[in-house]
Amino acid sequence: MLKYILKRILQMLPTVVGVILLTFVLFNVVGGDLAAIAMGKKVSLQSMESFDEQRGLNKPLFFGTRAKSRAYEDQDFSEGAGRWRTWSNAVYSAESAAVMLQPKSAFSPIAFKLNPDNDFEWTISFRGAGTLAGRELASKDWKTEKIRFQGMEDGGFSTEKDTLEIRRLKLRRVVKNPFDSQLLYYVKQLMRGDLGTSESLHQPVSKLLADGILPSLSLTIPIFFIGVVVSISLSLVCAFFRDTFIDRFLVMFSVALMSINYLVYIVAGQYILAYKHGMFPVWGYESARYLALPVLIGVVSGLGSNIRFYRTVMLDEMYKDYVRTAFAKGVSKPRVLFVHVLKNAMIPIITNVVIAIPFLYTGSLLLESFFGIPGLGYLGINAILSSDIDVVRALVLIGALLFVVSNLLTDICYAVADPRVKLK
Amino acid sequence: MNMERNQSLWGDAWQRLKKNRIAMACLSLVVLFTVLAVYGEVLYRYHDIKDTTPAYQNTDLDMAFKAPSSKHWMGTDGLGRDVMARLVQGVSIAYKVGIITSLIAIPIGVFFGCIAGYFGGKVDDFVVWLYSTFASMPGLLFILAIAMVVGKGLLGIYLGIGLTTWVGICRLMRGEVIKHKGQTYVLAAQALGLSSGRIIFRHILPNVMHVIIVTFTLRFPAAVGTEVFLSFLGIGVQDQPSWGLMINSARMRLWQGIWWEMTFVTLAVFLLVLAFNLLGDALRDALDPRLND
Repeated sequence: MLKYILKRILQMLPTVVGVILLTFVLFNVVGGDLAAIAMGKKVSLQSMESFDEQRGLNKPLFFGTRAKSRAYEDQDFSEGAGRWRTWSNAVYSAESAAVMLQPKSAFSPIAFKLNPDNDFEWTISFRGAGTLAGRELASKDWKTEKIRFQGMEDGGFSTEKDTLEIRRLKLRRVVKNPFDSQLLYYVKQLMRGDLGTSESLHQPVSKLLADGILPSLSLTIPIFFIGVVVSISLSLVCAFFRDTFIDRFLVMFSVALMSINYLVYIVAGQYILAYKHGMFPVWGYESARYLALPVLIGVVSGLGSNIRFYRTVMLDEMYKDYVRTAFAKGVSKPRVLFVHVLKNAMIPIITNVVIAIPFLYTGSLLLESFFGIPGLGYLGINAILSSDIDVVRALVLIGALLFVVSNLLTDICYAVADPRVKLK
Repeated sequence: MNMERNQSLWGDAWQRLKKNRIAMACLSLVVLFTVLAVYGEVLYRYHDIKDTTPAYQNTDLDMAFKAPSSKHWMGTDGLGRDVMARLVQGVSIAYKVGIITSLIAIPIGVFFGCIAGYFGGKVDDFVVWLYSTFASMPGLLFILAIAMVVGKGLLGIYLGIGLTTWVGICRLMRGEVIKHKGQTYVLAAQALGLSSGRIIFRHILPNVMHVIIVTFTLRFPAAVGTEVFLSFLGIGVQDQPSWGLMINSARMRLWQGIWWEMTFVTLAVFLLVLAFNLLGDALRDALDPRLND
């Protein structure tokens, strides 16, 4: 048994790695400029840089010796002068796709004070003469040079009597350890159990999650258990009255329940039951009474697909030999159903139940925000709407990890219940 | 011989489907919705090219919140726009979401499922790893995260739904291909020296086509429902009359007794989803011989 459990844990590891990689790819690689997503484009470059610094986003993605810096953003002079338009000492010429620095001028294109502990590197394609970051540049023809300087030095331009034409200019931060990447930073952060800081709420994400878990569970656990009991009972009714009017009606009814949009349940429930008839409080999280309506809506909205699922499970069992034997020796129909079939259908039921556990933790996104229950679903919706990257990423990641773990638990339960499983 | 068998399979299925009255009713409903969707899309393109304001965007504040009448069969909304015209436009958005997300999810799922089932070994291990990773992601939250990262609008919705829902079909296809791999027609094709790609996509794929069709019919309503949800949250469609946006604006007015927009939109969503769900079930019964007693 122990060997089997260890084997399953070992098989689980690649999925855990996959989940971590996938969240990384989604947010860091596909997301691109997370600071712009989280804070919009109207904040200063410096605050974006500190956002990056705090989350390790100013490092190379996977591997690399150079990283971009927000202090100077790469510009393609063939498409226009970009930010150079605002600098009076520089004249842009579309013809040569270059900017020209006037004689006897000095200015720095670097937007804010660089980190004094780092080394930086300019890559410049130029013609003419001048000084950049304290280094003399002089060439008649177009020439590309790399200039390395320290963060505490002045990285700006100055010219004497000649003009300096610039065709391309790039600023890169020199990364001391090429493996010091965003991926490594992310993994290290997770190892420490640090889930980041919420940008909009200014609190550590782990604290927000800890605060939200109880309200979420107080909503989802009743939904879950009531839902399982009601739908298993109804599916047994289906199996009992198989191929009669009652069975067909229940099947149609569950398809109809499935086809009603989740939003409609919530809006209609809140409007008709709570507002019009005053049977429940409309909004809030103060006592158990406030949970009654959201729980009712949650149960009803999940009922359709659950009845269908359990009905299929029960009917699958109905054709097995042991059922025929039981009938043949004269066991009554209710006894066959509720004792023989139900016991044997336990394995698919357990799977379905355990697999649903991770979804308990995220709560119900919409139910919580509609009824003002301060749980993780409420937190999640708000984080999505305010583009709070760290909160969303932590919720996705933990949801996925919980799913992986409950998969493992299901398999172990299986092996305990049915020793043949281990042999596969 | 292959062709003959094929035709009789589809012919058989059609005969069985025709006998099912509920399925035929759903099929006509689906056809009606399809016609409305095409009409809405043509109208949108026409006004887009001509650069004119289509009727469903015409605002008339004097006509705001009018109950259904002979002029506006489904009443008007808060800006005096005709609810019915916007509803029809919503059908075309729902269809676009259903179809484009399928065009993303189904090819990915079919491709990975086929190669995993056919080649087995390392390829299979990789594909199983890939889909278990995607399957572990918390569904709706993952879609929301993708939509957030990609940005507001339809593109985010397409990618969010498309990139998360290929897992189901991938699993199904993998299972089906494994079943077919050992059959004599595949062994014969291998003996003739046909390439693996040809065997998978020309020989096995047509034989498992019914799985794809049923999956499409059943995932279509799910995609529509998710779009309604995302647009409702303000992450999806921005300036077109999507059902989610209509529900969102109607929800506020419901408290003042403006019931018509809410009622008709939810009815439309319900009918579309119900028709596809029932049709999908009937198709599965008609196409899958294993379920025939």
